[in-house]
Amino acid sequence: MTTVLELRGITKSFPGVLANDDVNLTLEQGEIHALLGENGAGKTTLMNILYGLYKPDKGEILVQGKKVDVQDPNDAIAHGIGMVHQHFMLIPVMTVTENVMLGVEPTLNGIFLDKDKVAKHIREISEQYGLEVDPNAYIKDLPVGIQQRVEIIKVLYRQADILILDEPTAVLTPQEVEGLFKILQTLIDKGKSIIFITHKLKEVMAVADRITVLRVGRTVGTVSPKEVTLEKLASMMVGREVNLVVRKKLAQPKGPALEVKDLYVRDERKNMVVNGVSFDVRKGEVLGVAGVQGNGQTELVYALTGLLPAESGELILLGQPVRHTTPRAIIERGVAHIPEDRQKHGLQLSFPLYDNFILCNYYLPPFAKGISMQQSVIVSNGEKLIKQFDVRTPNVSMNASTLSGGNQQKVIIGREFSRPIELLIASQPTRGLDVGSIEYIHNRIIEKRDEGTAILLVSSELDEILALSDRIAVMYRGQIMDIVEASKASKEYLGLLMAGIKPAEAQKVTPKSAKTTEAERVF
Amino acid sequence: MKKLYTVLAVALLASMILAACGSPATPAPTEVPATTAPETAAPATVAPTETPKFKVGEVTDLGGVDDKSFNASGWAGMQKAMADLGVDGKYLESKQQSDYAKNIQQFVDEKTNLIVTVGFLLGVDTATAAKANPETKFAIVDYSYPDCFGTSVEGKDCGSATEIPNVLGLTFQTDQAAFLAGYAAAASTKTGKVGTFGGINIPPVTIFMKGFQAGVEYYNTQKKASVQVLGWDSAKADGLFTGNFDSTDDGRKFAESLMQEGADIIMPVAGPVGLGSAAVCKETGKCKIVGVDTDWTVSAAEYKDVILTSVMKNINVAVYNAIKAAQDGSFKGGVYLSTLANGGVGLATVNGASAELTAELDQVKADIISGKITIAP
Amino acid sequence: MTNKEINKAAEKAKPEQEEKHGKTGFVDNMVVPVLAVVTGLIIGGIVIAITNDTAVAAWGNFFQNPGAAFKASWDAVLTGYGALFSGSLGKPADMIAGIQNYFATGDSKLILKAFYPITESLVTATPYIFAGLAVALGFKGGLFNIGAEGQFYIGALASAYVGYSIVGLPWFVHLPLAILAGAVAGGIWGAIPGYLKAKTGAHEVVNTIMMNWIAFRLSDWLLSGPMKSSGFRPVTPNIEATAELPRFFPDPLRFNWGFPLALAVAALVYWFLFKTTLGFEIRAVGANPDAAKYSGISVVRNIVLVMTLSGALAGLAGAAQVLGTDHWVGQGFSAGYGFDSIALALLGKSNPIGVVLAALLFGVLRSGATSMQSLAGIPIHIISIIQGLVIIFVAAPVIIRGIYRIRIGSSDETVLTRGWGK
Repeated sequence: MTTVLELRGITKSFPGVLANDDVNLTLEQGEIHALLGENGAGKTTLMNILYGLYKPDKGEILVQGKKVDVQDPNDAIAHGIGMVHQHFMLIPVMTVTENVMLGVEPTLNGIFLDKDKVAKHIREISEQYGLEVDPNAYIKDLPVGIQQRVEIIKVLYRQADILILDEPTAVLTPQEVEGLFKILQTLIDKGKSIIFITHKLKEVMAVADRITVLRVGRTVGTVSPKEVTLEKLASMMVGREVNLVVRKKLAQPKGPALEVKDLYVRDERKNMVVNGVSFDVRKGEVLGVAGVQGNGQTELVYALTGLLPAESGELILLGQPVRHTTPRAIIERGVAHIPEDRQKHGLQLSFPLYDNFILCNYYLPPFAKGISMQQSVIVSNGEKLIKQFDVRTPNVSMNASTLSGGNQQKVIIGREFSRPIELLIASQPTRGLDVGSIEYIHNRIIEKRDEGTAILLVSSELDEILALSDRIAVMYRGQIMDIVEASKASKEYLGLLMAGIKPAEAQKVTPKSAKTTEAERVF
Repeated sequence: MKKLYTVLAVALLASMILAACGSPATPAPTEVPATTAPETAAPATVAPTETPKFKVGEVTDLGGVDDKSFNASGWAGMQKAMADLGVDGKYLESKQQSDYAKNIQQFVDEKTNLIVTVGFLLGVDTATAAKANPETKFAIVDYSYPDCFGTSVEGKDCGSATEIPNVLGLTFQTDQAAFLAGYAAAASTKTGKVGTFGGINIPPVTIFMKGFQAGVEYYNTQKKASVQVLGWDSAKADGLFTGNFDSTDDGRKFAESLMQEGADIIMPVAGPVGLGSAAVCKETGKCKIVGVDTDWTVSAAEYKDVILTSVMKNINVAVYNAIKAAQDGSFKGGVYLSTLANGGVGLATVNGASAELTAELDQVKADIISGKITIAP
Repeated sequence: MTNKEINKAAEKAKPEQEEKHGKTGFVDNMVVPVLAVVTGLIIGGIVIAITNDTAVAAWGNFFQNPGAAFKASWDAVLTGYGALFSGSLGKPADMIAGIQNYFATGDSKLILKAFYPITESLVTATPYIFAGLAVALGFKGGLFNIGAEGQFYIGALASAYVGYSIVGLPWFVHLPLAILAGAVAGGIWGAIPGYLKAKTGAHEVVNTIMMNWIAFRLSDWLLSGPMKSSGFRPVTPNIEATAELPRFFPDPLRFNWGFPLALAVAALVYWFLFKTTLGFEIRAVGANPDAAKYSGISVVRNIVLVMTLSGALAGLAGAAQVLGTDHWVGQGFSAGYGFDSIALALLGKSNPIGVVLAALLFGVLRSGATSMQSLAGIPIHIISIIQGLVIIFVAAPVIIRGIYRIRIGSSDETVLTRGWGK
């Protein structure tokens, strides 16, 4: 094995903070090297230095054993380094071909764009690396997983040998993650080398050849997945023992808090995406809704929280039917909502934290007297909640946009949990968060359950559903396939339902109930 | 930190520059630099070797000094005075109605000898300033005093109930020139119909239309013809109006509808709106335009092929004469009426006119001057 | 490592981002606008220098006499800006002389003359404050009210109508009524596009522009007929004295109660936006309508509310102009206050305090332009150039950061309006 890339003693400080402190990393030819660390550990800073977006204060970069000076991304590309960003840099209204050629447009006779040549090249790359994609498709029509393939093709088209993937699985469904891992395997088989940035433990264990763990800007160590356990990795990353299994007592469910009967919902494009769903959520239990994303869970939650009108069906909240389903009417009846997209729905990013803590009850005493808002009450409320919910921030006047994802989610949870609630609807509550935050949020949700709150948990992470739920409903194409007791549910059975196999068929393949072990409930 | 200091230094420097500009330490010039020397050195008690220049200022209406219309025409007269009479002239453009008083005040403060205000909208502000500053002379274009009648309140709804001794109103008997234009149009039409439209139904506009109609009617009685005038009826004192003085698009539309009704000669009395009409005539080749205010074969040369003639309101001449009078001491308040007789209004060359028509027009003109032909006001 | 240590380390990792953010806010809100103004004036000075005949001639002889070329350019700029600022702020020496003379002789003529320039600047700034607040409020609510000009006209016409048509009321009834009329009329004019946006999704930019045209043509018609005064001129009658915003000094000083009123309204808008639940809702809808909806705020209701209030403020601008300064309305009533106010709201970062400061600046520039034009022979259009430059610099702060080497990470984009569609 030859070393294709080496980072030596990289140090980078920003005013007041050391983002990278003497970081070392070597990448061998044909390996997948995972760069693991919590949000804010310095992973992205390191990669931005490698990609020429930042200049390091100290340290050097060696490509193929030779010291190189990377001034900007063009230099990086010239050295065969390509980056697939977490947020795709694609133009939705252009085709795959147009996106790939953007910036390196080949021309016919120096005037006309030679799209055919690029399309042909894309097909070659697709074939070679198993990256199936239609060069003439428009980006906006492609699912996220395929868009990511386009990003990878872009990098390959520019003849990169070293690929940096920044949190590539954060936006993918479990199936798409599987697909991506296959692609990565093909890439290294063809001689490419990959740096894989993530904070998800299970993924690195599944796919990486070596793992370098960063914590607060320093290298904690480089290990091979064969020689570590999940718990070990987690503690390297977080710096303390992390409990990866949610310990919870048996649920003591009482009467139903929410009954849903034959609910139909159309999405914003007027397609019927929830097709006759019925279920109930009881006080003191967690009902998990599992399913691959895009099977109507989002719209189901929107309908329950008043963000989308229901087409037909009945909602009974605490024994009373809900008719005028405005968000406020629902909030005022004691429903809390942790939204799927925390930046879109959950927070006012440009508002200070103390305002974000009162988004749903700013108009009620003690925060307002008449129309006059009580600034001092609002600020002290914010200060109290920051302490109570362990939000890491210098002060309560910071804008929500300055917080990391995990802390943003804590603000939302602090807000929703700090008022009296009967029902919590939590949609993808830990998406994109690091282990420490996930553990925290899981424990808080179970705490709330044990206080007697009804909880509807929607997640596309089956592990999370299994870890938290008392009952599990599987959703597929807008319908609930089956609802099973969580303690007895078999993961295989649930997986088949998620893929659209009818319960009767699925039971022929695998038993419906099988006591899952604790190890399987690791998230 | 270092950068911050640089920034602060630059900001400080800049503010010092600005402060220097505003501070009294720098003598704020009272004149364009080139001419300051003799002025400042001339105390009142010493007989000056060179008398200070006679100062004239023009306050324009909203169109600005290059509106190709009356503001420009007034400035042209002032420029001629600067060249011929050696006066010192400048102008101030008004952007909105509240600028009128401010601009006049600026000239008053500069001890301007004669202030020319252009347009009837300045009527009240001119009168107010004139009364407050009796030693300053004023001339106002298209307006005259007294202008207060009935219940209107002096200084508010109107300028003055009496004549003001230091204000000369420059008014124009444009109906005389328009009469000639009407006669020429009637003689030139092939369809037997001529048209006109105005900006707003106000006297400075309708006086053109009245004169035009009267000219056509005179032609009809003289020649036993029956040329019709579309777009204006003196009996009803109403006609076609665009409602504005800026939309060339309206100029097109009005010209098109007049053409549809059969008119082949059109007189638009709405400033630049008429250029839209001229464009239609140029494109279709089916009509001719009678220009107003200035000679359009000069001021709108691109349309000169479709210009039959122009009713000229020689504001420049009137302004020049007013300046001349003010300088030589013969200035008197009141009204200066521009007529065919004194050359203050006139008809431009009628393009393609037969010798016969030219002779007839000369005769009509002479008859108007002599009073043989009278035009109903 | 203990938990505590971890927390500490994590906190150490954070401040960078946050400090950055705090500084960015200061730079964006204060330093950039001020430097933008300074830079605009400097470039304006260069324009003055290169368009000045004497200076250009001197540069023609640069090689014979380089000193003269620089001096001529410098003189041109000094003359221009000297006239601009002495014409808009007055001369301190005259003011002192005026005050001394007043106390010595009791004659107020000199003192009034010395303070005339600065009062004229405040008079010019008054409608700017109102109209700037109107656009800024729209921005805060995520709406782009380009219709301030139309609302300005409609407000002015309504105030004028109440001002001249009602006779015999005491001033303390008549004046508030006339002011209210302007606010209500402007409010209605703003509410219409607001309602259309809320109910049908029709974009407010298109609709407010259309409402402008309706307002212009409507005022043409009103001035040539229904609201025409007794004379032939297409203007409204003068308002009754009881409807006038009282002036503080005798003619020709036009400084009136409109200015204090504008400051009071600015304070009110500030309180409303930042200290009330309604303002909270407006800011929430403007910053992130999805999150606002999530938190139970009616986005639709807020759009109508914001456009109505924005229109009312623009209407007040018209009311203040007609009741305080002009006393009548003609076709040339506005020199584009409604449009300038967009620039002004940008310069003031949509903050009421910023808007007041920006309005004072615009007032000074616009008012001083008269004497600059007269004394230095510089066309008033130079002011539009300076204003344009200032706005470019404020809208593209990268330029200012580049020129003055302010290297602080780019901030979150302030979302002024949302894109087309809902």
